Amino acid sequence: MAETAPEPEINDEDLVAQTQAGDPRAFDQLVRKYSSRLYGLVYNMTSNHEDTNDLLQDIFAKAYRSIKGFKGKSSFYTWLHTIATNMTINFLKKRSRSYQMSLDDIDNGVQHDPEFIELTSSPDATREVNLKELQQRLNEAMMKLSNEHRAVVTMFDIQGMPHAEIGKILGISEGTVRSRLFYAHRQLQNYLQEFLAA
Amino acid sequence: MNTDVHKLLRLKRYEMPSPDYFERFIDEFHRRQRAELISRPTLSILFERVVNAFPDFHVPRLAYAAVGVAAVMLSAVILSQQQDTGVPAASFALNSPAMTQLPAVLGDMRLPVSARPDLPPHYVLETRPVSYASPYSF
Repeated sequence: MAETAPEPEINDEDLVAQTQAGDPRAFDQLVRKYSSRLYGLVYNMTSNHEDTNDLLQDIFAKAYRSIKGFKGKSSFYTWLHTIATNMTINFLKKRSRSYQMSLDDIDNGVQHDPEFIELTSSPDATREVNLKELQQRLNEAMMKLSNEHRAVVTMFDIQGMPHAEIGKILGISEGTVRSRLFYAHRQLQNYLQEFLAA
Repeated sequence: MNTDVHKLLRLKRYEMPSPDYFERFIDEFHRRQRAELISRPTLSILFERVVNAFPDFHVPRLAYAAVGVAAVMLSAVILSQQQDTGVPAASFALNSPAMTQLPAVLGDMRLPVSARPDLPPHYVLETRPVSYASPYSF
């Protein structure tokens, strides 16, 4: 049986242009490309899988409806992340305080992550790290931050975005990004004291 | 930057749904798109398309106030023009033929009955509702 060749990578600008010209399959490619990344953004801000799934659907639906108005002043990536962040923050403002966390499983790859090995084998660690407990505590700590601080922490610490990109997405200066990060890290350090080296 | 906190947070990258989730996600996306097209009112879709067609157009914040003030001023001008013609809007009904053909006696009805010299004297009951119920005090 003949092996099908992988689809050539088409850049975002072309996919956006094709979508704007009325080709929904081009938008499907954009969804495939960004769904995993946006999932991480929304999930780490909500700590709930079902909410993330619904929100992500709404985010892509909104992007699809609005794509004709996208003029390319920013990259598609930035534009999509701005929609996602705004919709997630609006959702969190309306969500009741009595929500339940619904966490995804941790990929087994974490066991081989050098940072995880370093954290768990450090002689300074005050206690043995239980993976499930660590996940629970990390999510609890994140949810104690304000929505705006959590957005910055998610994009910088978890997703590895540069300060300038975060500033563009949130419509704030790089200085504000840095100060929010500083404040959020200080708060998180207090919440996660027992998992950190003395 | 607090490196230990940063390292801990980096571990959250490993919290992910099962691998087939994203394949199912796109099917779900198509299903919802179709359902939305069926359930949404046509006017709502039309309005959104118009809004999306002009993304840079925003109604200024004070525009609504300005329209309100303009509406009030316009109403005031129309009312003042009606008063200038000497024919108040409410007087149209009284000057209509149906009202002018009423008997002239109606013009005296505003006077108290006791003050009319052309009528024989009579008693006027007080305008208190009459009740046949027995009084409470004996």
